[in-house]
Amino acid sequence: MATWIATIIGIVAFTVLAPIVGCLLDGVDRKISARMQGRVGPSILQPYYDVRKLLEKERASVNTVEGTYIACALLFALVAGGVFFSGGNLLLCIFVITLSSLFFIMAAYSTRSPYAEVGAHRETLQVMCYEPMVLMMAIVVFQASGSFDIAGLFSLDTPIIATTFGAWVGLLVILTIKLRKSPFDISSSHHAHQEIVRGITTEMSGPTLAKVEILHWVENVLFMGWVGMFFINANPISIAVAIIVAVLVYLFEIWIDNNFARVKWQAMFKIAWLSSLVLGGVNIAIIAFI
Amino acid sequence: MQLIGFLIVFPMLAALLLLVIRANAARNAIAYASAAIIAVVTLFVFGTNLGTEAVYFEFSSGAIDIICTLISIAIGVIIIGYAVRYRNIITLVLGIAQLAASLVFEFAFAHGVEVEAGLYMDSLSLIMAFIIGIVGSGICIYAIGYMEDFQAEHADERDRRPVFFAIMFLFLGAMFAIVFSNNMSWMFTAWEITTVCSFLLIGYTKTEEAIRNAFRQIIMNILGGIAFIGALYYCAIGLQTLSFAEFLQIGTLAPVMVVLPVTCLAFAGMTKAAQMPFHTWLLGAMVAPTPTSALLHSSTMVKAGVFMLVKLAPVLNVCWIPSLMTVLVGAITFCLCSFMAISQSNAKRVLAYSTIANLGLIVACAGVGTAEAVWAAIFLIIFHAIAKSLLFLCVGTAEHHIGSRDIESMDLLFDRMPRLARLMMLGIMTMFVAPFGMLISKWATLVSFVETQQVALLVLLAFGSAATFMFWAKWLGKLSGIAGRPENVEKTVHVSEWIATYVMAGLIVVCCVLLPLISEYVVMPYVAGVNLNAVATLSNDILWITSILAAIVIIVLFAGLKKSSKSKQVNVYMAGITVDSDDRSFRNSLGGTTKATASNWYMTEYFGEKRIKPIGEISCAILMVAAFALSFAYFMALI
Amino acid sequence: MAFASKSPWVIHYDASSCNGCDIEVLATLCPGYDAERFGVINTGNPKHADIFLVTGSVNERNIKVIQEIYDQMLEPKVVVACGCCACTGGVFHDCYNVLGGVDKAIPVDVYAPGCAVRPETIIDAVVAGVAALDEKSKALKAKKKEA
Repeated sequence: MATWIATIIGIVAFTVLAPIVGCLLDGVDRKISARMQGRVGPSILQPYYDVRKLLEKERASVNTVEGTYIACALLFALVAGGVFFSGGNLLLCIFVITLSSLFFIMAAYSTRSPYAEVGAHRETLQVMCYEPMVLMMAIVVFQASGSFDIAGLFSLDTPIIATTFGAWVGLLVILTIKLRKSPFDISSSHHAHQEIVRGITTEMSGPTLAKVEILHWVENVLFMGWVGMFFINANPISIAVAIIVAVLVYLFEIWIDNNFARVKWQAMFKIAWLSSLVLGGVNIAIIAFI
Repeated sequence: MQLIGFLIVFPMLAALLLLVIRANAARNAIAYASAAIIAVVTLFVFGTNLGTEAVYFEFSSGAIDIICTLISIAIGVIIIGYAVRYRNIITLVLGIAQLAASLVFEFAFAHGVEVEAGLYMDSLSLIMAFIIGIVGSGICIYAIGYMEDFQAEHADERDRRPVFFAIMFLFLGAMFAIVFSNNMSWMFTAWEITTVCSFLLIGYTKTEEAIRNAFRQIIMNILGGIAFIGALYYCAIGLQTLSFAEFLQIGTLAPVMVVLPVTCLAFAGMTKAAQMPFHTWLLGAMVAPTPTSALLHSSTMVKAGVFMLVKLAPVLNVCWIPSLMTVLVGAITFCLCSFMAISQSNAKRVLAYSTIANLGLIVACAGVGTAEAVWAAIFLIIFHAIAKSLLFLCVGTAEHHIGSRDIESMDLLFDRMPRLARLMMLGIMTMFVAPFGMLISKWATLVSFVETQQVALLVLLAFGSAATFMFWAKWLGKLSGIAGRPENVEKTVHVSEWIATYVMAGLIVVCCVLLPLISEYVVMPYVAGVNLNAVATLSNDILWITSILAAIVIIVLFAGLKKSSKSKQVNVYMAGITVDSDDRSFRNSLGGTTKATASNWYMTEYFGEKRIKPIGEISCAILMVAAFALSFAYFMALI
Repeated sequence: MAFASKSPWVIHYDASSCNGCDIEVLATLCPGYDAERFGVINTGNPKHADIFLVTGSVNERNIKVIQEIYDQMLEPKVVVACGCCACTGGVFHDCYNVLGGVDKAIPVDVYAPGCAVRPETIIDAVVAGVAALDEKSKALKAKKKEA
């Protein structure tokens, strides 16, 4: 019963808080990117304005189901976040967020737009690229803490990062894909004038696009949670450490975003799988045998 | 026990009847009625014995032994006959070898060993019976409508449908015999019946390709059959028992005694379950009419293989040589076949690779043999059976109505066959996404691998799962395309086909939503019954959360995707030069019209069969040879 | 307050210009002027855009393209004609295939003259466009309330 209540509270809290945090994170991201490029940059609240504007736009879609798929994607992302931040099961969280990505992909496929379809293909590939490492992340968490429950991390003497450093670095590699940052922003990017227009989101407009933006915010918050969880232990200070690490990692990702040109999918695939195999696989083996 | 006997004998009698009766209407009526009877009796047996512990029935009969011997001879004659007719020397040699071995065994050794409890029933055989009785007979019903279309397409050929339906039902009978027999020599006879039945079904169309593939199947499965006989010899001579239960008991208590026969039986199971390097027979089985593929892939044949391995799981848990072989072969098969599925565009081939991959996972779980692993393996069996049969039936129907089994031609199926596309999507989602059963089982698999520190398995599982996402998602995407031109072509689908597909879809819904109950009342009793320390792999809360999520997805799929909506309908973006948005055509630079097309990704340079297949075949073959060599060495050391 | 004015996303289409104006438009969107300060993003996708920047004159061949892109933009939306050619047809006005300014194809809200149009003019035009966008947004809201 406790799991139930915790999960529901978690989902509600995440639904309220994650968009706020995610929105600010995105705002900071844009501000810092602008400063890195020698610009003033938009207001920190710019992503909020964007979404409000999108919600004010006319409703239009190329078919009747696209909006439903996106709504499902958002719903499941919120569930995944709720499960994670309520200290629930990490695997459940991973599988539900994958379901969310699947709905997102299906929304793009359902439009049959040439650009969106290419974007959907690439997004599918991206999921395949990061999925092994995500699973391995769950595995090392289990190996190091003895359970998939995030709550269990709060009773550890030493944070799991001590034994899972390799997997954590592997996570950072695929995090770039998950956050849709250059050099791995191949399915859609925030920058205009790319060869597939806006890729996977080409046909999503107005309120639907607003939902997609919110989806990205909450996803980003969740992923930063994954990054931070490696540093959690019984000591309450560790929460602060985890937040600081997550912020630093996000800054690092912004730096990468601004300094690398987008790669071809082949390169992304090779980099993602090889690093997963080496960093994740070796880390799993080390924990298992030592 | 009478009911068990009924389940074994009735399908065979129905088969006999179907063989004799030539009239279409009468055959359809008999097929409907027999399938319905089998399903009802299965449900009754299942319902009344829910949660049972192993029950053994005192039953031995000289008559049945003699019938078994006669069947063995008949099987040998059929195989040899076909081998001679088609001049296939390898089959001939193997067929003779097997016939000789089984005859020598029956006359020289088997009679000395009495098995008192000939039949038995436990929760696992109940689950298997459920799959055979419901899914299997559902497929038989489906075949009624399908074969009508099939015959219409091949109107110039002789109508051999009586044979077809007879074999289908015989198959079901044999499967029931496998899962309920405790007498290993009876089991072996049924095992061989399934081999020959699938040989005949694969070769049904008698085209050159069909014959070639049928022979490939029989060669590979006879190898397994010979290994099975080897195990029988060992049991009869070395252990003085042919009771499967006693054999397993000996195995769990003194694994040293049974290394060789367990390796043999595991090998037999793996040939039947189409593990690498024997996976090609299942791919070849594609040439047969779709109900055959559905039957082979979901409820029979390959399930006999994994049933054997799951039964062996407690022994494999303590017996490292065969365990290592099954675990590694299963995991390699899972990973590599998932890779190869990405490179396929033929829907049935994708399904075949996914079947082999999932069987690999089940095999690996059985090889690990802990309580969690067995729990996962059984769930994989259940969900794989229903989801895969649903998918095969959908693909078969789609093939008859859109004229192709290529995934690329399933573009717009969401419009053209709205009901079928949704059912197919449900099937696909069941195979790989979160709240549905398949993924729950994969999850349990992961847990059991982590707990037993199987590093290689974990890595293979992680990469294989990622590939699984790729090939299913791109298929799902192809299906979900909508262009707003409803031109419905599913009006002519036979009622029998709808019945069967809806039964499968209904089963999926029930199994997904009631998963916690199934775990509690059906699967756990078996796990507890075989003395594995039964622990719940996943807490019930989590199971219920996932079942709610599954319900949400199912509701969205069938009720949420409406035909109309409030928002304005607009064209897709075509860079401002659209000619016809639904058709994706645009004005080209010469003022003409060009159509935009997008085909899926196949990534052949990474995941092509040419590249992956040799790796898998060689590594798995080496593993098997090594396991046999080690087992022999063990055996020699023992005597 | 309407949020449309806080986040005007633009799409740029080059009808038939000498490319001078296009270079200026892109220059305006470059970091040098930092249009993102005001929430301006160059989307390249009519379905996401609020402001349609057109450069060059309209001719027989591209009129349909301009109209289609305009149609695919969602309300509220404004059109800015950038440069003399876009405003009136400019030096190309009497070419055999040229129809004239952008207003021959779609309703134009703001005219930004110049040959080539200066970035400062474009920024001014966008600001004027944003005001128009705000009004249209309010009108749309009122209409929604009525319905």
